Amino acid sequence: MALFPIIMPQLGESIAEATVLKILVKPGEQVSADQELFEVETNKATMAVISPAPGQVGSITATIGTSYAVGSRLAELVVSQKDAEALGQTPPCSQPECVPEEPQKSRPDASTAGVHFAVNQNDAIYQKQPTVEPVVGGLPVPAGAAGASYISPRMRARMTELGLNAADLAGVAGTGAGGRVTVEDFEGFLRALEQHRMTPASTMRMAVADAMRRSWTRPLATVGTSVILDPMLAHRKKANPKPGPALYAIRALAIALSENTAMAGRLVGNRIVHPLAIDIGFAVEVDDGVLVPNLRGVDKIPLVQLVDKYNSLVDKARTRRLPPDQTRPGIATVTNFGTFGIIWATPIPLPEQNLVLGLGAGTKQPVWSDEVNQFIPVTIAELTLSFDHRILDGGGAGRLLARVAQLMQSPEHL
Amino acid sequence: MEAFRVMVRARTLEDKLANLYKAGGRLVGGVYLGKGQEAYSAALGIQLRWQHDILGPFIRDQAARIAFGEPPLDPMRTYFGSVRGPMRGRDGNVHRGRPKDGLPAMISHIGSMVSLVSGMLFARRMQGRLGDAVGAVTLGEGGTSTGAFHEGVNLAAVEKLPLIIAVTNNQYSYSTSNDRQFACSDLAERAKGYGIQGRNVDGTDLIQCVQAFDEVVRAARSGSGPQLIIGHTLRLTGHGEHDDSSYIPESVKKSPIGRDCMLIAEQQILEHAWMNDKEIAEWKNTCRADVERMVATAMKEPAPDPFKEPWRALSTSELCEGQWTV
Amino acid sequence: MSLTYLEAIREAQYEALRRNPDVFIYGQDIGQFGGAFKATKGLMNEFPGRVLDAPISEDAMVGLAIGAAIEGSRPIVEMQFADFSSVGFNQIVNQAATLYWRTDVPCPITIRLPSGGTAGSGPFHSQSMESIYAHYPGLVIVCPATVEDAYWMLLDSVELDDPVIFCEHKFLYYHLKADSFGERDLPIGRARIARPGRDATVVTYSAMVHEAVRAADELQQDGYQVEVVDLRSVKPMDVDTILASVARTGRLLALGESFPWGGVTAEVVARVVTDGFHLLDAPPMRLNSKDTPIPYHTQLWKAHRPTVATVTDALRRLLRY
Repeated sequence: MALFPIIMPQLGESIAEATVLKILVKPGEQVSADQELFEVETNKATMAVISPAPGQVGSITATIGTSYAVGSRLAELVVSQKDAEALGQTPPCSQPECVPEEPQKSRPDASTAGVHFAVNQNDAIYQKQPTVEPVVGGLPVPAGAAGASYISPRMRARMTELGLNAADLAGVAGTGAGGRVTVEDFEGFLRALEQHRMTPASTMRMAVADAMRRSWTRPLATVGTSVILDPMLAHRKKANPKPGPALYAIRALAIALSENTAMAGRLVGNRIVHPLAIDIGFAVEVDDGVLVPNLRGVDKIPLVQLVDKYNSLVDKARTRRLPPDQTRPGIATVTNFGTFGIIWATPIPLPEQNLVLGLGAGTKQPVWSDEVNQFIPVTIAELTLSFDHRILDGGGAGRLLARVAQLMQSPEHL
Repeated sequence: MEAFRVMVRARTLEDKLANLYKAGGRLVGGVYLGKGQEAYSAALGIQLRWQHDILGPFIRDQAARIAFGEPPLDPMRTYFGSVRGPMRGRDGNVHRGRPKDGLPAMISHIGSMVSLVSGMLFARRMQGRLGDAVGAVTLGEGGTSTGAFHEGVNLAAVEKLPLIIAVTNNQYSYSTSNDRQFACSDLAERAKGYGIQGRNVDGTDLIQCVQAFDEVVRAARSGSGPQLIIGHTLRLTGHGEHDDSSYIPESVKKSPIGRDCMLIAEQQILEHAWMNDKEIAEWKNTCRADVERMVATAMKEPAPDPFKEPWRALSTSELCEGQWTV
Repeated sequence: MSLTYLEAIREAQYEALRRNPDVFIYGQDIGQFGGAFKATKGLMNEFPGRVLDAPISEDAMVGLAIGAAIEGSRPIVEMQFADFSSVGFNQIVNQAATLYWRTDVPCPITIRLPSGGTAGSGPFHSQSMESIYAHYPGLVIVCPATVEDAYWMLLDSVELDDPVIFCEHKFLYYHLKADSFGERDLPIGRARIARPGRDATVVTYSAMVHEAVRAADELQQDGYQVEVVDLRSVKPMDVDTILASVARTGRLLALGESFPWGGVTAEVVARVVTDGFHLLDAPPMRLNSKDTPIPYHTQLWKAHRPTVATVTDALRRLLRY
């Protein structure tokens, strides 16, 4: 024997409920299959609820004059196990889908106040439903989204509005998919900035920032080697006028590049763009920034003839009076960071250039000499070459740098 | 005689349209003529009163339109796309109409005007201003194959509307002959199935047509419900002027059905001495002069200006979505 | 809570018939029987000769209504189910929708489409046709989601001088109740913020408004405030309200019960991407029914259409983007 529920059937399209008009049986009464148990009335018609199988009427929970939603339990019927199985192993109302959820507590939250409708929470449609995937999967997380590397249209618009660059957001940890910076993260970051003292950046600072940020979009790498400065120092002592150490490096780089201009080429699309002439720039520190005047056709002018021009350009740069033609960039830059006492650094090439040659401070070091069979003092400096790895590889850059060192160690040829 | 005058006027107008089409470049769209069915069409039109009755014409009813009272410049203005025509360049040629005057503008989906004309009659009756007005809707024999025709005729019958359903059996629906269009021997018998009256008439014979429509329209006016009438004739032209109708065999053209109703009507007019040769010739000249004048007028009128066109499909302008037009 | 959405439709028709003698209702089984859903119950006796049973001829029913509109009547046509309006499609889109533009004669007809799914109704008694009709120029498409809107928008529709496709949701007929019809507060063409929020926008209409509001309630427990925009009329579409909402939230879910290919949700996304690309902080998302006919069995049907569970799931993805 099994207890089988009699439920309010679906009595027509879009019928949600029906009112019990008459109860045609009593508890304990034997009923046959298809016998009428209840008379119910929908908005459309009066109909009968019938017995699904022969059996004995158990409890009757429905009352006359009450409206019951489709699926509501009206009574129970004691049927044979066989009939219960024939009606479905599990009676309909033991399935979890059919168990009505508890009516949700009234929501006092202000966000729903004034909403223009109310729905009967017990209605069949709001009973627990099987979870299925949305039809539209959508929303793939962008690859490499962490931080501000992926920027949504809205973020882009806000950044444009505020004049910000992606680099400005480097310090924002994203909470979006894949760690991306959402617009909420962004606005939070801006609010946090308001706590700080802020001063305007100078035009020079902005120019350097812009150049460095543009340059940094490329895969940059650096190689280094040592160069013995003693021959250069000796040569310099005798020379008149005296070239600065950077000028030796400039001339050495120019000669090395003239032997293979492709090294100073730029990659645009699938082509190498070769330089028109061996113009070499050099970094001059100025107030709150760096200027890079350049010497034209350095490969064709001997060292001593470059000195006056070089000194004049340094003066003009320091007084911010570089002639307009100096705004045209060279093909590589030399930076003598040794003047700051720095031994080694990885400078960043200008965005228009592939190469930057750095010269560290010379230091006296004991070097073993097989000739005299003892340590002798040698002045050594570190040379670095930063380059766009798309154009040059470590080997090529290393050979170029070795050639520069070799030339600097033979100043009489410069 | 009035029907004959209408026939001559229609034939003259349509001959001009055909020439303009063949001359090329002047008319905006295609040209669709009623050659061969002017007698049937005119006989219907003379029974109807402008702004009192309703005529839902199909594409070959130039004669019925003239007889009914369509403003004389409407056809040329519409064919030329003049902004002064009733359609203002928004629709053309045979799709013109003046719904508020009882002349709805047909859409291309044949059969669908049956229920529309029924609705006009239905509303007038509901508003208590139908009086003795009738509505006529016309279509070719091919139109009777559509579901819309069936639905419309059945509805008109259910609503007992004073509707004349005038079918022209001109033997071809575009290029399809009747044996591929319907399987019954007599289309008028279909009336029985709808519970309405139906009859046939020789569409090449003006006098028979006038008599038939006199009776049919009288029956509709007097409350006998919808009337189905089938006029038998031959389309003496292509479906449109782009069509040489080479698929119509000579034998059909030479059979009695292929007779030109204009020639028969002229003979009948002369036999009854309603007009003499001279009067007929004078009338033809008058019609030709009138048509030339209409062409001259319509051609001079301005074409629609896309920059002045408001591009609004709703009469409630604030509900038109504006962002589509640039 | 005594007035249902269905009663709103009946009462609006009563009021429309009472106000204007040019109004009449034409449809199948709407007279003595009161309509398949009882939306015209009792109206025939109140307004003799103006609530009429039509033959099963959707094409001719609409054709008759258009003819009557030319003559100054303001007919309401009841389609027994929105699905069956496909038989009258030609009259609706080619005759009614073009009439004003072609002839300058307005076409004030209201075609009521009992729309949307209910359990066990299957492929031909569950469809939502708003997207199909919205494609055609010359039609106004409204989809009320509340008892109040059902009442006032139907009255507005009958008063409008243009053809209106009035999509009334069958599921809401008995399930949705209100204390009163309230006041007429918004005209056709304006959307309503059904639930305010700041984290994501759901743009939807008709019965899906309720699914969206419930999904928003669920997400509120996780601290999200989801805004729900009830379009009310899908054509014209209130793009200003949509964009204002997306400006607040940066995230959009367009939700509809109809089939996924094209349609209202696609239109919402297209408008937002076109006019509000800069407002989006996440790719716009759509959620519709599945791309199959509507299934008969309740278990399949529940999985075919968007539900609170799937809307919530979709919103979680959107919010986590």
